[in-house]
Amino acid sequence: VPCVSSGLPKPTNITFLSINMKNILQWNPPEGLHGAEITYTVQYFIYGQKKWLNKSECRNIHRTYCDLSDETSDYEHQYYAKVKAIWGMNCSKWAETGRFYPFLETQIGPPEVALTTDEKSISIVLTAPEKWKKNPEESSISMQQIYSNLKYNVSIYNTKSNRTWSQCVTNHTLVLSWLEPDTVYCVLVESLVPGPARLTRPSEKQCVSTLKDQTSELKVK
Amino acid sequence: DGAAVLPAPQNLSVQSTNMKHVLTWSPVMVPEETVYYSVEYQGEYESLYMSHIWIPSSWCSPTAGPECDITDDITATVPYSLRVRATLGSQTSAWSTLKHPFNRNSTILTPPGMEVTKDGFHLVIKLEDLGPQFEFFVAYWRREPGAKEHIKMVRPGGIPMHLETMDPGATYCVKARTFVKAIGRYSAFSQAECVKVQGESLPL
Amino acid sequence: RGLRTCLISTNLRLIEESFRGIKQAIQAKDTLQNVTILSPSETLHGMKALDVCCMTKNLLAFYVDRVFKDHQELDPRILRKISSIANSFLYMQKTLQQCQRLCHCRQEATNATRIIHDNYAQLEVRSAAIKSLGELDIFLAWIEKNHQGTSAA
Repeated sequence: VPCVSSGLPKPTNITFLSINMKNILQWNPPEGLHGAEITYTVQYFIYGQKKWLNKSECRNIHRTYCDLSDETSDYEHQYYAKVKAIWGMNCSKWAETGRFYPFLETQIGPPEVALTTDEKSISIVLTAPEKWKKNPEESSISMQQIYSNLKYNVSIYNTKSNRTWSQCVTNHTLVLSWLEPDTVYCVLVESLVPGPARLTRPSEKQCVSTLKDQTSELKVK
Repeated sequence: DGAAVLPAPQNLSVQSTNMKHVLTWSPVMVPEETVYYSVEYQGEYESLYMSHIWIPSSWCSPTAGPECDITDDITATVPYSLRVRATLGSQTSAWSTLKHPFNRNSTILTPPGMEVTKDGFHLVIKLEDLGPQFEFFVAYWRREPGAKEHIKMVRPGGIPMHLETMDPGATYCVKARTFVKAIGRYSAFSQAECVKVQGESLPL
Repeated sequence: RGLRTCLISTNLRLIEESFRGIKQAIQAKDTLQNVTILSPSETLHGMKALDVCCMTKNLLAFYVDRVFKDHQELDPRILRKISSIANSFLYMQKTLQQCQRLCHCRQEATNATRIIHDNYAQLEVRSAAIKSLGELDIFLAWIEKNHQGTSAA
């Protein structure tokens, strides 16, 4: 039985949170209805198409988010989404997003960072972040295939000298040679794509120590 | 609008350095009164297609000082017309227009400030942060006969960037210049700065 | 000048930032969500590298000669951003004019351009202008994507 559009306040702050094309619609509950048993229903619209479409998994849901990655997976199209609050037989008006353009708005996640060390060097191997995919079995699409000019900003922090320096690289391997032995270096990597400014998500900081200097060890013996 | 009693501001001119553009004029003097000014601009597009349209400057409509930072208004590499008028209460002067339209490709580009340091055997450079429009061409070489000069494009300024892994005992020199793609121009090179690396130099 | 250097040596970033400043306000005024002007899948996405220069030139002209003229803006904040984009497009046109030799226009680009003008003509002019302004991000993303790897964008 359809609900009655009443004075129920609308959900607020409805936006897409998009990382590597994983596009989650999220919103805040309507104001002033704490404790009420509110549910939500979501619809989405492909800009230029004809009508609003239902998202069946997000009909009468209690949570305040809805994964629309599959529905918005063609990142060169633009989309709208809307959500309404339902309480008993009453429902709010729709709260609608602005026009969402995944190609320009998705955040590019950090690459995977693998570090190996020896006495005076650290090898850094980067694996490009992957585009969201529906099933794990599907073949992966790297974000590099979508943004061919994807680059990485690698920050290196020498904990002994308390110095930080960065390098902008396009390839996926980087060897830092002639480092100080027996020294902890911390590495942090961000993905960068030219074009409109985007929020960036740096990788977790990883710290490794270069090995002790074997030659001085031998002299000591 | 109010009768044009006030004299129009005179001697309009633009000073532009490193893509920061300031419009200045001679103040209109009225004893014991504060005269305000309004600045408006017109890009080449407006003058070609919408000549009746003048756009109020971002920061100086109105302003009390005899100058206006128009950097946020001059956002394309085309000629811009600029005009100023004075206001005192209900009195308003005529517009005074810059004699020649201003194009940001005439900005003065100065060699960038830079700090060349080393972290162990690593040559690190920190360049002056001049804003998002600036890229830096950095030339560096190992100081020895027949040295080969390496070039690296560095961006942005303001953070220490790794240039090279150096050989023990060697001396490396660095110089840099700015490049502004939007106007397709470079600055002069900065003075070279050199650093010496500890340790015995490796046989050549 | 080679096509590589001829293509738009413009800092697209500033144009994109200008658009970002007006995106919400302009797109909110576009209430016809079921209609597009640039119709990316019909016009832009199929464009071959050969047609990029001509299509860029045609779209710059579409905006400079038609859209910006048809749009009447009263809000000075939005007016400044639109002026910034319009003057940047004017500069891009001048840059492209230096490559007449290299900017061939094949039938594909001409057809795609006509679709865009036809889409525009089917709407009331103010709505068409607002919608086209709201679709600037589509055009800018297309330029960014198709001028990558050149010294330009």
